[in-house]
Amino acid sequence: MRIAKITATTVTTAALALGLAACGSGEAPSSSPSAAASASGPKFAGKTLSVWRLGDSNPAAAKYMEELNAEFKQQTGAEVKLEWIPWPQVADKFAAAATGSGPDVTEIGNDQVPMWQSQDALTPITDIAREGDRAQIPENLYGYETVDGEIYAVPWGAGARAVLYRKDWFEDLKIEVPKTWDELVAAAKKIQKEKGEGVDGFAFNGGSDANHLLAAFAWSEGGEFAVKEGDKWVGKLTEPGFTKGFETYTGLVTSGLSGKANLTLNTVDIRKRFANNKVAMYLTAGWDLPGIEEDSKGKLKSDKLAFFPLPAKTGGVAPSFFGGNDIALWGGTKEADLGKEYIKLATSKTWADRYASEGGLLPVYPDTLAKLEEDPAQGAFAQAFAKARAFPADPNWSEADATKMVLQNAARAVIEGKKDAGTALADANKELEEILNQ
Amino acid sequence: MANPTTVARGGGSSPSPGHRRRKESGRARASGLPAWSIPYVLLVPGLLVIAGLLLYPMFQLAVMAFQKVGLAQIRGTRPAEWVGLENFEKILSNDIFWSALRNTVAFAFVAVSLTLIVGTAVGVLLHRLGRKMSLFVVIGCMFAWAVPPVAQGVIWRSLFDAEAGIVNWALDLLPNWLAAPPDGARSWVGTPWLTDTLPLYIALVFCVVWAGFPFIAVSVLAGLKGIPAELYEAARVDGSGPWRTFTKITLPMLKPVFAVLTVLSIIWDFKVFSQLYTLMNGHTNREGYNLSMYAVAEAFKPPQKLGMGAAISVVLTIILLVITVVYVRQIVKQEEM
Repeated sequence: MRIAKITATTVTTAALALGLAACGSGEAPSSSPSAAASASGPKFAGKTLSVWRLGDSNPAAAKYMEELNAEFKQQTGAEVKLEWIPWPQVADKFAAAATGSGPDVTEIGNDQVPMWQSQDALTPITDIAREGDRAQIPENLYGYETVDGEIYAVPWGAGARAVLYRKDWFEDLKIEVPKTWDELVAAAKKIQKEKGEGVDGFAFNGGSDANHLLAAFAWSEGGEFAVKEGDKWVGKLTEPGFTKGFETYTGLVTSGLSGKANLTLNTVDIRKRFANNKVAMYLTAGWDLPGIEEDSKGKLKSDKLAFFPLPAKTGGVAPSFFGGNDIALWGGTKEADLGKEYIKLATSKTWADRYASEGGLLPVYPDTLAKLEEDPAQGAFAQAFAKARAFPADPNWSEADATKMVLQNAARAVIEGKKDAGTALADANKELEEILNQ
Repeated sequence: MANPTTVARGGGSSPSPGHRRRKESGRARASGLPAWSIPYVLLVPGLLVIAGLLLYPMFQLAVMAFQKVGLAQIRGTRPAEWVGLENFEKILSNDIFWSALRNTVAFAFVAVSLTLIVGTAVGVLLHRLGRKMSLFVVIGCMFAWAVPPVAQGVIWRSLFDAEAGIVNWALDLLPNWLAAPPDGARSWVGTPWLTDTLPLYIALVFCVVWAGFPFIAVSVLAGLKGIPAELYEAARVDGSGPWRTFTKITLPMLKPVFAVLTVLSIIWDFKVFSQLYTLMNGHTNREGYNLSMYAVAEAFKPPQKLGMGAAISVVLTIILLVITVVYVRQIVKQEEM
């Protein structure tokens, strides 16, 4: 008796659901003929576009994507299936997507473009990359994205890094915001003295994205990773400028500013320690703030945190890694035209500017960027971005940078006293050349 | 494979022909197959499963070891390039391979010995304990054994944490003459365990032995239950002490058990991956790699070089096969003597 009742209810519910679904899908086609008549009609009604965003979803980013996708649906009639890929999983998810089924459109780190292009994972979008609003994006932002004359991604937001610090601690201990490297070291030591030994004054990054920090030191001394001479990469790690920067980098640990126990931490790991009151300063960007608020259970909000540009040991602001996120069309997509429409909308001036300002990045449109120089929150990044530099633009750079971790291992050998800086860098230089020239 | 026909014919007291014919026709009706083939036919389903799940992937692995395989080759947009022995040459000329090999072999030697010693000791203890206590200890041990490898890594990672870990805290409680903080530091807190290779592997040995000994203990217990009590009685009557009884009776009687357990432990400890990966926080520290870790880093971290990873796995498999074969041969020889 009861079973019959349950069955009946289930069947009715299912029938209702089906009916509603039928109504839902019936609506689109019925409106599409009339819309096709008008030029801007939903040409792609009923289709679904799969989009990947990188990082953890936070309320601001989720709201932005919701509005962007609603606008996209209004323009094209197509639905968007959005998926968030946490940063540490990006390489594995991309690898799986490159061999099986992937997204249609994905966000991608700009320095990752050459590597995934070399794996045939991206579709060229040269025809749309420089048209419309995008003609205003400076040519030099397309460095990583252009391979053999074809453009594989459009810059979406730029990232420069600055020092994130505990404003509340600085105020408690009456420390001025450091303008020089020596002031930064003094501030870090003072905080360590007052806040206990487990606290890192300025966190050492030795993990997968360590080269952002090392590069800032090395570039500020005039050093370079490698330079292309003819068609071969020549390593420059043993030159005096790079060596000095490398010594500042390893000095973070050997002089005690950062704990010996944390030699393999990347920015995500450091962010968690920062949220747990274990770090006073580290080099990062605005996209870390939502995660810190979440990890600290709401205790560390923007009123207790602030950024300042990393001072160079040689004076002035240290050059920052020219990072940023692009949006690209995936290699295995079956919805290339629809995907291109999405990229066009997302990188239009309105939406790209909102992407940057709401996601903690710098806008890629120059006039919007110019307005930020005086902005108190974004000024540190805008100043750093003016001096931004890039890593060697080669598909094999990722291997040296994040897989073989050539320089991270050289730094560890020096910190643990197994090699002196000269030997470690000479070995690293040889390996870097081998990897880049393979 | 005794041929029933031959046996019947050769036998002096052969039954009547009629009886033989009836027997043969009966067998033919039952299966329709010649008698010699029946064991093979019965093996077919199992062989098919093994071939599909094990032999074919192993064959693929061996082929890939001689090829240059990236993501494009897996997807099929570009053909795999045959490179001969190049993958092996690259591996053997790489320092990471040799440090990984050293780590793997040294770790396996220490971990296998310790697992067997601790496991045997606990097994003997279980045999001596009363019913309830024995059950209690077995359940406790089984919990350790039941923890999945990644969770084992996470547990020991937090225990060995430099600042909040219980290991450094406990070492601080010990008097200084027993465990002085390293390098003249005031306390153990802040001493990193998981960055330098030797401390990292000490932590890994703890982790693997902790999770591995319960299986040995239970197997040894099963073996001990099978030893006749008369032997121990006789030994006691003859005035043999506990150590002498253990070395002269228990060990020889358990030899077959130990042979199997040693081979299994060697195979397991050579292949340890999840615990190491968790303990060392990813693949940053190249000096801490073992061979499995090295294979994974080469094969699956971008840019993916599946051929290189396959070649490392082949080397690891060959090393394991050699060790196992040599060991098993030795046991067989000893038993023949």
